[in-house]
Amino acid sequence: MTIADNSRNPDGLKGVQEIAHTADRALCIQGRDLQEMLVNAALGMNRLMTSSEPDAGAGRTVKTVEIEALDAEALLVSWLSELAFWAETAMLVFHRFDFKIVSPTRVRAEIHGRKAASIENHIKAVTYHHLAIVPTADGLSATVVFDV
Amino acid sequence: MVSARDIKKIGPFLFEISARFRPDMRVPARFFADDQLFESILNDRSLEQLINTATLPGVVSPVLAMPDMHQGYGFPIGGVAATALPDGAISPGGVGYDINCGVRLLASRLEIQELSPHLDDLASALQANCPSGVGKGGQVKLKPGELDELVEKGAGWALRRGFATETDLAHTEENGCLEGADASKISARARERGKDQVGTLGAGNHFIEVDVVERILEESIARRIGLFEGQAVVQIHCGSRGLGHQICTDYVNLFQKSIRKYGLTLPDRELVCAPFSSPEGQDYLAAMNAAANYAFANRQVLAFHIRRSFEQVLAGKTKNHQLFQIYDIAHNMAKVETHLIDDRRTQVCVHRKGATRAFGPGSEVLPVEYRDIGHPVLVPGSMGTASWVLVGTTGSMIQSFGSTCHGAGRTMSRHQAKKSVNGAHLRRQLEDRGIHIRAGSLSGLAEEAPAAYKDVDRVVDIVHGAGIAKKVARLTPVAVIKG
Repeated sequence: MTIADNSRNPDGLKGVQEIAHTADRALCIQGRDLQEMLVNAALGMNRLMTSSEPDAGAGRTVKTVEIEALDAEALLVSWLSELAFWAETAMLVFHRFDFKIVSPTRVRAEIHGRKAASIENHIKAVTYHHLAIVPTADGLSATVVFDV
Repeated sequence: MVSARDIKKIGPFLFEISARFRPDMRVPARFFADDQLFESILNDRSLEQLINTATLPGVVSPVLAMPDMHQGYGFPIGGVAATALPDGAISPGGVGYDINCGVRLLASRLEIQELSPHLDDLASALQANCPSGVGKGGQVKLKPGELDELVEKGAGWALRRGFATETDLAHTEENGCLEGADASKISARARERGKDQVGTLGAGNHFIEVDVVERILEESIARRIGLFEGQAVVQIHCGSRGLGHQICTDYVNLFQKSIRKYGLTLPDRELVCAPFSSPEGQDYLAAMNAAANYAFANRQVLAFHIRRSFEQVLAGKTKNHQLFQIYDIAHNMAKVETHLIDDRRTQVCVHRKGATRAFGPGSEVLPVEYRDIGHPVLVPGSMGTASWVLVGTTGSMIQSFGSTCHGAGRTMSRHQAKKSVNGAHLRRQLEDRGIHIRAGSLSGLAEEAPAAYKDVDRVVDIVHGAGIAKKVARLTPVAVIKG
């Protein structure tokens, strides 16, 4: 299933809200299901990293992500860690996600992005701090803390 | 949830939560504070996290937090916990993602008034020569296989490459190299993140700062260390960059399985651990040491670039601008050390996360010139405020596994700081005070506003009053370079 490109959502990012954490950055992420949560988490992290639009002159990059994890929380950490890795090492920011497999312990996806003109805020790591994916009336919710 | 009534004051600056507070605590939890800081400590989850560390397998009494403590993940920032060998826990969360984040202090023999006319040029040179921010690689290009040598030799690699002097190594904790580092225990991802970042500053709260020694409190110790009032000095605050961050990520992930394998129950996934002597524990130790060595090498290369910057700007204009090294210390690390526990010399694994080693007089591991006074302890304050040079004490060996504070400690989230502080206004305020600022972004500047931190003078007064470090000199900034 292909998820629409959300890189130019003019109404702000739905399903993601930044919350206070003393030394680092934290997002509260919602989604109707795990797949939507992964998308919202990625887009939320993008928003933490950079306020600039993707470099329109840069070509589109496609990567394949394949993750196996112990549980859904570990999956979410590994997913975001993968995206943070590409941002740090190649200035790549991903806005479109084409999922082939999504389960609490496995993800396979093609991710589409471009080089960012700048990345103002460095994500050192994605942590497990108080991370629990919990069911809500509208789907799922989790808080993710990023070491910056 | 811990409240004031669960805490007992057991010394002028020492508080304790009994091991009976929660059934899974194995030892009491203690923290250093004064009555005013005590109130602010209750405002975040740092005490809850400190209590959690008291549940670690093999933990030795007590677990501790320094007065700059604040909420982290797993351990609180400012946390110290020792675990018994061979089978007590080793926990990546007890070290942190930025393995061997630490501070180096370099000193010139210049009076600050000799340097002042050149500060603006110097700040620009430092910013140009010491890359910071995402996507900015270092000037050092490693040959194939050279990263292995770097992580196994640390500052020794830098000496071979001509970035260091022998005195630099002698005046670095562990001579700038932890034995037992093993490059084969670090992942391809960690290598990829670290290979281009040698000699880079990073961002967040990392900085290079030119300071003046504003005040000397212990004249004879200051003279022995090489400090005098009015002197121009330079601090570097930086760690193991992406390589260290990835190593911690890798092993926190790996240890999620370890706790099931060893039948461990922990209150926080960021506290995951393995028995020290287990294959997993030893692999993490070897990888952590590799990251620590990367950080020592990184600060050494930055020191080289700083020396070069001084030479570029000041050659022919001043004399005595050559920089010598006072000391380099880590504040995120786990180390095997020998401490007196129940009157017996015992080897333990001491985790310090946002806490600094503070070994006192008589410690055999110190360089000869510091052995009778204790090694320098470097405590940077928040941007634009003071920093401190202290020395380790016998008191820290008795009370805190040879540990003391590491900085000012945050009180306000980055998110809140950006909302309540205008970066441009802050920059003007600092410049009006004569501090030359070079920053990667105004929002990054706002996040590091002094208002977001505790008062470092208060933090240092507490550790001095508690006897776990001794004040020697107060430094104030004249130039700040940050990512």
